[in-house]
Amino acid sequence: MTAAVADRRPVRRLLPSAPAWWGDAAGTAAALSLLVVAALWTADRGVQELLGGLATGLTSLGRLAGLVSADLMLIQVVLMARVPLIERRFGQDRIARWHRLAGFTSFHLLLAHVALTALGYAGTARRGVLAETWDLVVTYPGMLLATAALALLVLVVATSVRAARRRLRYESWHLLHLYAYLGVALALPHQLWAGADFVGSAAARAYWWTVYLLALASVLVYRLGLPAWRSLRHRIEVAAVVPEAPGITSVWLRGRDLHRLPVRAGQFLLWRFLDGPGWSRAHPYSLSAPPNGDLMRITVKDLGDGSARVVALRPGTKVLVEGPYGRLTGEHWRGGGITMLACGVGITPLLALLWELPYAPGEAVLLYRARTPADLAFRAELDQLAAERGLVVHHLVGPRAARPSWLPAYAEGMSDAEALRRLSPGIAAHDVFLCGPDGWVDAARAATRAAGVPDARTHHECFAW
Amino acid sequence: MRRITLWLLSTVAALVLLFSYKTSTMGPGGDTSAITSGSDGSAGSSWTATDDGSGTGSGSSGGSSGGSSSGSSGGSASGSGTATGSVAQTRWGPVQVKITVSGGKITDVIAVRVPDGNRRDQEINDYAVPILRQEALAAQSARIDTVSGATVTSDGYRESLQAAIDAAHLK
Repeated sequence: MTAAVADRRPVRRLLPSAPAWWGDAAGTAAALSLLVVAALWTADRGVQELLGGLATGLTSLGRLAGLVSADLMLIQVVLMARVPLIERRFGQDRIARWHRLAGFTSFHLLLAHVALTALGYAGTARRGVLAETWDLVVTYPGMLLATAALALLVLVVATSVRAARRRLRYESWHLLHLYAYLGVALALPHQLWAGADFVGSAAARAYWWTVYLLALASVLVYRLGLPAWRSLRHRIEVAAVVPEAPGITSVWLRGRDLHRLPVRAGQFLLWRFLDGPGWSRAHPYSLSAPPNGDLMRITVKDLGDGSARVVALRPGTKVLVEGPYGRLTGEHWRGGGITMLACGVGITPLLALLWELPYAPGEAVLLYRARTPADLAFRAELDQLAAERGLVVHHLVGPRAARPSWLPAYAEGMSDAEALRRLSPGIAAHDVFLCGPDGWVDAARAATRAAGVPDARTHHECFAW
Repeated sequence: MRRITLWLLSTVAALVLLFSYKTSTMGPGGDTSAITSGSDGSAGSSWTATDDGSGTGSGSSGGSSGGSSSGSSGGSASGSGTATGSVAQTRWGPVQVKITVSGGKITDVIAVRVPDGNRRDQEINDYAVPILRQEALAAQSARIDTVSGATVTSDGYRESLQAAIDAAHLK
């Protein structure tokens, strides 16, 4: 495999950038969908009923909570469908944060919807809340299904609260999380059959069906169809497993027509190795070498989450892929100087970028942080980049500093920003790429800011979500 | 059997049971359509005199549902009898009222049809209809207030009531 590395030449694989309007379009669509449900509520006398007495007011408020909650859930389905337009523009780290936020918000609104509607209906009927709730569940159209949906969503949220999440195996959590799709689907009949806004208006029903079907289509196409098609088309399998440093392993992968796989340096894919039980868990690993011929490479650190398995992978093991995903690419680089800061296995996507980006000799600086000399991976390759491409490499090796800093302990007497300016004098005008553990990246970002690098020219993606 | 298979089977079984329950496939409002085409009365308004002294016979006006049509019969403003209003089609279903007139006064209002497609409608009607009746008897006209929480039924009630009053040639 060393031969394959030695033959490597920077391959220009520049795909078109994700246009800025993609983000605006996605954001506008989400906002519009919320506006539509709010308008449905107002058009259906939501405001008048809100002020029209206690029971009516509670029912009306419950209706609004239900509408917004349902809309937020559909937004999440689309968010998590890995639609390229959304994915490439915002990145999975941000999307995952929004999913968590929208998830809990929509769940709280759902609880409010249930409580307000039960109270409002009981008030209108002049009956006890429990008796009325029972009748709601067993006699109203679609309500038994909606109750099952509620139970499923409670299950999904309860297992996603951080404390519970930590105690569950990933596979169990993931399987339970899939019930959210079932929950969202089972809620549809009661919305259409008992929802005041939909029963009375064919147009509202048509709109709601459209939104549901679009969400379903986005999942079928982008979450299932596209990955299945790519896995079938490229028939990726393990070609070789190479140790790089203690606990750091590279896997070379062979596939058909890899030049047609639209992946850029700096991106990652979700990998499933069909090597036995546990294969169903997908691992996000960045490419350390983008496709060249029929080979590409990932580099993995053993983090104790199943990534140790890659060491035992055998050549010929079949691989399913999802992706590529990720925004840590060179697409926003406008030429000129580059500073890259890597810590540990964070070198992986940056190495791929260093091969890809067409910088001039002396224009690119790599600051590579590791705990011991043995932990430095890719020495030969970095030497080659230094010799052939004029990359400037600084290794910063040693235990971590006592204070939060991107520097090792021996250099902590110096300020973080000052160290950056010394090691990469032009950094204020550079594009900066960062990759490493979260805490280290936070310190490094603070340092680049202090060194005068605008946020827009700092490129970073968080992998520990 | 592996645990994943058990999970899948249980999920499918639960779904089958859920969907075999009648409310899971009944659609909106259950038998609303059956009620709309119910056999109780015609869509138009009608007047039936019971006092031989004034009115003669009964008449009915055709016309489509919804509109308040005046009867073309020989009803009398000072007569006695019953008048049935036209059917007011609301989004929740038809509303139709029948009034009893005695000596030119409305003495009773009966809601012949109200939306009862589901339990919610029935609950709303159970408290709204008596209030609407009281209002109509007090006002002796269709100019009555909307009952909070029963806006749609109130609208339909007013419409059918006006048609009944027209058919009875009151006011």
